Amino acid sequence: MSTPPYEAAAWVKDCVVEVHQGAGTGSGLTWGFDVVVTNAHVARAGKVAVRLPDGQVREAWVRFADRERDIAVLDVPRLGLPAVMRRDPAELRPGEVLFAIGHPLGVRHAMSSGILHAVGPLPDGYPVPAPLRRLAWVQADLRLAPGNSGGPIADAEGRVVGVSTMIAGGLALAVPITAVEALVRARAA
Amino acid sequence: MPATLSTFSDQLADAVERGARSVVSVHARPRLPSTGVHWRDGVVVTTEATVRRDDNITVTLPDGRRIPAQLKGRDPGTDLAVLSIPTSQLPAATLGDPAALRPGHLVLALGRTGDSGPRAAFGAVSATGGKWRSWKGGEIDLWIQSDLTIYPGLGGGPLVSPDAAILGINSGGLSRPLATTIPVSTVERVVTQLLTKGYVARGWLGAAMQPVRFSDQHGGLVILSVEPDGPAALAGLMVGDVITSLDGHAVEHPDQVLELLGGDVVGRTLKVEVVRGGKQVGADLLIGERPRRAR
Repeated sequence: MSTPPYEAAAWVKDCVVEVHQGAGTGSGLTWGFDVVVTNAHVARAGKVAVRLPDGQVREAWVRFADRERDIAVLDVPRLGLPAVMRRDPAELRPGEVLFAIGHPLGVRHAMSSGILHAVGPLPDGYPVPAPLRRLAWVQADLRLAPGNSGGPIADAEGRVVGVSTMIAGGLALAVPITAVEALVRARAA
Repeated sequence: MPATLSTFSDQLADAVERGARSVVSVHARPRLPSTGVHWRDGVVVTTEATVRRDDNITVTLPDGRRIPAQLKGRDPGTDLAVLSIPTSQLPAATLGDPAALRPGHLVLALGRTGDSGPRAAFGAVSATGGKWRSWKGGEIDLWIQSDLTIYPGLGGGPLVSPDAAILGINSGGLSRPLATTIPVSTVERVVTQLLTKGYVARGWLGAAMQPVRFSDQHGGLVILSVEPDGPAALAGLMVGDVITSLDGHAVEHPDQVLELLGGDVVGRTLKVEVVRGGKQVGADLLIGERPRRAR
């Protein structure tokens, strides 16, 4: 399979929404029927506003938020958007091209690109608190900024491998999409 | 088949995989390990600043084995340190030619921290240039600056071309805000010296000097102090002498003297011309070896 880069980015862009709660703005990605995934630090609880790629704004509710893994799942009635394609980040090789789409510093649907740095926990001695360091991360050599939080990081084919969550020593850290799948499954059961 | 983003992505991942076969993790400081390159069989190169102890150094190989390594020498001037490990443990680095790099060329930085897989960063060459001297006095054959992020633990790792050739060693310490690469030829020269001597010998005059101008627009270097029994003192040079040439080269700036003392000059006798009391005086100067400071 080979996809021109703009096409891969366009597919993913159609699955990226803006999430507003209080004064903050983050990003979110479509997960399934009327469901959006974002960071728990973007949507804490209760009611949130979701702005779709076509500009429509929908009321949404936090179905659940996992503070430890920093993932929130939103119910968005009449979302009407396709879910993102997903790929297990365990299949990624360091050096593979990745891109992030989100709303860094309020710039809508901005893309930044780079490569996979590593997958897994951060090395001992990395400047990050130990509990966060020991979690599994998709670590990417690409630039994120506030507003990217909750948005997707995707591979060259537009398949989402992680949820942009934090920056450590300049490195982009994303929650592996498989960890999100596990959370959603556990909460559904 | 047209080149697509996916094929490009695969090529980069292949370059990381191949380049990383000679990339090891070096445990020579508390907490975060640094990266090293298996440069020749049994010889690992890393950055000097990341080797914080002389003993109890270990190296993690790409297959996850952790083996002891011996420090063979360090050169703070070029920020390089050389370790030895048992031979035939892993392939030696495939070296490329960094002199062919131009601004805009795509490059990778590789690292290994502990027993996990390789770590990679990607960017472009920002600037290239000729020979330069680091702020610690080391002579580096080429200026290679890139926009790569040298993440924690990546220092001492290689700069790698998209076809997996190793072009040099990345240093975070030579030019703090920028990724600077010590090119292959400089690494080769320093490795050879460190393996034979344990350090890089630099020429020494034993005199402090500063530039002065004569009225006719020519200038020289006025001697401000002379180390007792140092090479300058033994050649009969005195405070107030103005050095105008060394080894036949006119000198008007201390950098020009450092340049002449940079190569394989220790133990050679050079002609020095000085102006003393308005008269030109010549002397033979036996170049000494710069005393090494305790770390």
